[in-house]
Amino acid sequence: MVRRRDVLKAIGVTTAAVTLGPFVHARPARADKGELVVVTWGGSLVKAQRKAYFEGFEKATGIRIKDDTPPTPAKLKTMVESGNITWDVIETDLAAILTMRKDNLLEPIDYGKLDKRALDSIYPATRLPDAIGSKIYSFNIVYNTKALPAGKNPRTWADMWDGKKFAGGRTMNFGGGVTPQLEIALLADGVPKDKLYPVDVARAYASMAKLKPLVNKWYGSHAEAIQLVTSGESAIACTVGPRGMAAKREGAPIDVEFNEGKLAADHWCIVKGSHNREAGHAFINYAMDPKRQAAMSRDVPYGPSNKTAIEFLKPAEARELPSSPENEKLQWWWQAAWWGEIGTDGKTNRERETEKFARWMVTG
Amino acid sequence: MAKPRYWSVTEGPLVLPAVLLFTAVYLYPLSRLVAWSFFTPTLSLQHYRALLAEPAYVTAFINTVTLSVSVTATTLVLGYPVAYLMTTLSPRARAVVLACVLVPFWTSILVRTFAWMVLLGRNGLINGALIALGLVTTPVALIHNAVGVQIGMVHVLLPLMILPLYSVMVRIDAAWLRAARSLGAQPRQVFLHVFLPLSLPGIGAGCALVFLSSIGFFVTPALLGGPKQITIAMLIDLMINDLLNWGFGAALALMLLIVVTVLFALFQRALRLDRVWGGAV
Repeated sequence: MVRRRDVLKAIGVTTAAVTLGPFVHARPARADKGELVVVTWGGSLVKAQRKAYFEGFEKATGIRIKDDTPPTPAKLKTMVESGNITWDVIETDLAAILTMRKDNLLEPIDYGKLDKRALDSIYPATRLPDAIGSKIYSFNIVYNTKALPAGKNPRTWADMWDGKKFAGGRTMNFGGGVTPQLEIALLADGVPKDKLYPVDVARAYASMAKLKPLVNKWYGSHAEAIQLVTSGESAIACTVGPRGMAAKREGAPIDVEFNEGKLAADHWCIVKGSHNREAGHAFINYAMDPKRQAAMSRDVPYGPSNKTAIEFLKPAEARELPSSPENEKLQWWWQAAWWGEIGTDGKTNRERETEKFARWMVTG
Repeated sequence: MAKPRYWSVTEGPLVLPAVLLFTAVYLYPLSRLVAWSFFTPTLSLQHYRALLAEPAYVTAFINTVTLSVSVTATTLVLGYPVAYLMTTLSPRARAVVLACVLVPFWTSILVRTFAWMVLLGRNGLINGALIALGLVTTPVALIHNAVGVQIGMVHVLLPLMILPLYSVMVRIDAAWLRAARSLGAQPRQVFLHVFLPLSLPGIGAGCALVFLSSIGFFVTPALLGGPKQITIAMLIDLMINDLLNWGFGAALALMLLIVVTVLFALFQRALRLDRVWGGAV
């Protein structure tokens, strides 16, 4: 006999299970080695990273990886100051690292915990006390191929500055990475690649002023820059080359000129006061492996930070990466040291010049 | 005459939750902001001095206020007739117009801003039509300048003007208007001397909402504007998020709060808004 009371009880239990379910995890006690929160730039990048690093790492260690985005210094600072630290490992560029370092938001990297052999192949300039190279990106001339078809495309920064020879609007970054792009303004003005540092700030601003009338949008994010070039709103952008390459792969009328490009690295860092420093180091160690890095570079066209990873890629795959041997020769390495130097006003060059750039934009 | 009593032993505890909420989510963060602006890194007026010493920051303040005033004026001019129209329609037609006003209001600002980029761009729909009609030969610059920001912000903020206007207009007794007509007033006079003054509370509330919202606008000016449309909100974002210069960012934010409070007080006096808020302000 079916009693009404039993039916009601069943409904009650089911409802409780369904509503409370998400909050009560039945965890196998032994297999659960905890969780590591890795913060990167999201989107297609984190999908590639999950495939190349996170999935294998979870299987090998039993530690689950939760990803989050974006790795903004302000959010990290709030976490560290409030003591409510939910991030463990973050991936970001040197511009942000300089800022975070000044505010003491990063743990030192314990190089003794990392695999010696893989470590030797990581670009030496990216092995820093509080950060280690994760991938290589570049700032390049990214142009619309409908407006500027092959053969008639810009090849140098001086070309981007030349409004007579190359028609169409320009777009350059107001936000996104380090601003202003003083070194690129110097290259456009004829300074050779090996004479960029120390930066001649006055000359760079004078050169930037020449570009200003050609710029139809000072963009705030690199996604915006790619959108501007894809839609033909701007003909030429100075933006992250690998993002241009990714858009080209998806069929956008875009191409990337690596000549005179600015090479730089993203880095893994461990968050100050992270509760999972041990696991964080294990993850960084796992992601240094050249084969795994090659797998990531196949999905998203960023260069591996482990130099030997290129050997695992086909020549056609390597050609699209900013750090392939041929492309590396065409470009120059960004020197963050100059941007980190502290002047008599107590500000780093990065802080002073970015603030000045914003004012130049408003009043100019 | 005895002053009206706003507080009594029995009513006091009833406002306690509101006071607690207000303290926790508004007053406490604001006090932190004040502290940052004066105490980073040590007690000084350095951030305020830097702010006033650079003409660029003053210019950005002027740009922000000018932009907000012109957006408020445009939404008023466009919104007033719409709100009036709504009072004259049948309930069914009114529901349709109300839906047209509200649906965009519930759509993400980012989506709407991107839609304007598609419509107003060099190769966008509007330029395409203008060129096809032979009205222009080269695309007209409709975005990345003042025009684009104005269009984008007016679109986003229009419902904030129409809704308070409508809620006031709908309560205006038609008998007043009929009385004016029967006393010999022309339609223009009825509007100017009866309807417009009675709708003033709606104008005040709408303008206040739109102005205060546009002062803090970030997404639309950043995507649709050019260098001349750099607002204080964008500079605060740069200081707080990119440069971690929280002291200076806080000083900019507080200065904006002061400017807005002063402007709002003047505006309130000019429009006699105390009547709208029931004399409690």
